[in-house]
Amino acid sequence: MSSSAIETDTSDLVCQLDNVQGIVDALSTVRWKRHQDAVVELSEHGIVLIVEETGCLQAKVYLQKELFIRYEYTAQGRPRFGLSLGLFVDCLNTFSVPGHSSSIEIQYPGPDMQLLIKSADSLDDCIYAEIRTRIPETISWDYNFEPAGSTPLSFTVKSAVLKEAIDDLEWPGSSIQIILKPVPPSVTFRGEGHGDLQIDLMYYANTDLLIAFHCDHEVSYRYKYKFLRATTSNVPSNVIKDNRGSKLTIGRGGMLKVQHLVSVARPSTSHQHIDSAGYQQPSRIAYIEFFVKPEEDEDTVND
Amino acid sequence: MKFKAVVTENGVSLLDRRFLPALEKMGKIYHLFLTRDHAFFLHNLITTADGIQSIAQFRKQALFDDYRISSQNEDRIAFAFDISLLLRAVRSSVSIISGEFGIANRLQVKLVKKLPPNSTQPMPFLTFETKGYKSAVIQDVPISKPLSRAQLLQLQAALDAAQDLPPTLVQVPDSNRLQNFVDRMKHVGDLLNVSISKYGDLHLQISTTLITLGAEFRKLLVVGDKGPSPNVRHFSKSLQCHLAKPDCAFYGIAPQGACLTVIFQFFIPGTRQTDKSISLHCRLPVLDPGSS
Repeated sequence: MSSSAIETDTSDLVCQLDNVQGIVDALSTVRWKRHQDAVVELSEHGIVLIVEETGCLQAKVYLQKELFIRYEYTAQGRPRFGLSLGLFVDCLNTFSVPGHSSSIEIQYPGPDMQLLIKSADSLDDCIYAEIRTRIPETISWDYNFEPAGSTPLSFTVKSAVLKEAIDDLEWPGSSIQIILKPVPPSVTFRGEGHGDLQIDLMYYANTDLLIAFHCDHEVSYRYKYKFLRATTSNVPSNVIKDNRGSKLTIGRGGMLKVQHLVSVARPSTSHQHIDSAGYQQPSRIAYIEFFVKPEEDEDTVND
Repeated sequence: MKFKAVVTENGVSLLDRRFLPALEKMGKIYHLFLTRDHAFFLHNLITTADGIQSIAQFRKQALFDDYRISSQNEDRIAFAFDISLLLRAVRSSVSIISGEFGIANRLQVKLVKKLPPNSTQPMPFLTFETKGYKSAVIQDVPISKPLSRAQLLQLQAALDAAQDLPPTLVQVPDSNRLQNFVDRMKHVGDLLNVSISKYGDLHLQISTTLITLGAEFRKLLVVGDKGPSPNVRHFSKSLQCHLAKPDCAFYGIAPQGACLTVIFQFFIPGTRQTDKSISLHCRLPVLDPGSS
């Protein structure tokens, strides 16, 4: 097999991972359409994958080096390459065996700048893949997220609740207004289109839904429904079932940041073996961030 | 031409839970070929050989009791039918048998000619009759006219030809895992290369301009030769046979790479001995390596 012939020391990165399904879940979360180009950036801290919809929506998946059981990074600078997200996810998915924690080794670059993946479970069976990479496209619009003021404008809501709320807003459609009010502390999602639908999350009324809330002045921005939906619609159902919090922050100019946490811990069948190492260590979480630009709208109340 | 038998409890469970669901995934129209000793479910054997062929063979005792067959073609009868209708009839008979009356209840199957409603022409049916305590439920599965002598000989010849074993066979270790792998591979590309080496390696690979994805299984049983590429869709269809819960699977490539043959074996329950009264195998056409 060609991939085994490559000298490890010529690679920028060789890393090994013991839970492929976790990575598949994390990457699937940002897969909002079938053909998507992604940019991958490697560093000593881990792997970041970036996808974007021209000028409106960007998503990043952070796979920190702590998620890997081996992470050997030797590059100078930060190598970047482009690849098809769909192909990458579908390919990784073939390495995942239900009910098993499958181990894989990822290596970059191969002799022809490919991304090389191979299974690391058994000597007699081997699954391998070589994915062609591209010279990355320049990220067209920099989604530098800056806080709106001295106090952050943010709230944390159970992922399942957020997804349900955004799903419900489908029928009014088109444009969704998000309003944060300090008195009474609440978050409102309002859709106006074919009809009106308003969803209020009151901080004190249901603390189990709205886990945290920070807001010192009222703000209101509108976002295109399809972009808002992209932030939750592809979160795999098992991640929704984990029901961690998703954090939403409104930054300068109304830029919305949505953060999800996806567990990359080994599947629960092997918990008895890793309990001593700490159940659900925080380091076994992949961080996912979406940035949504607000609609240019004259009736936005703020800034 | 007469055919009448009682489907045994074991036969019902083989058909209902294992074979018919697996066969249904591979094709729609099947021939049921009945001889003095065997019943065969055959798909795509005498039609133009494009697409998967599958052959499920049962010794009569594996399915039936009180098996009676007679015809002028050496007591052989064959006809075509829609497998999903047969599955529905068997399923509903099962619900009657198991629902109320216990095992003593008998499921009888026979070949009949009936006048369907709004028709003047009698039509052939395979009839399932479930006798209950106070009622009987009869289900008629429409079938084709029984095959003529010439067609029957053609089917027999095709069946004999399809029984030829490839010179090379490897035993696949975990066919569920392989099935799962191929199912997922389908998302990456359409054309699957399969090669089998005489050292007992099975190598599956999809290669497109953007990706190469493959799996190698080494140190499997057997001896062999390299074969060209069957279509992945067919390949994974044949693996739907896992619904039939086979106990082991063998892959082989026919001489001159004519087709990929997958043979499934079944153990006698509770043993590691092959149950010779049941067998299932599929033949997958090989795409011309130059095409597509």
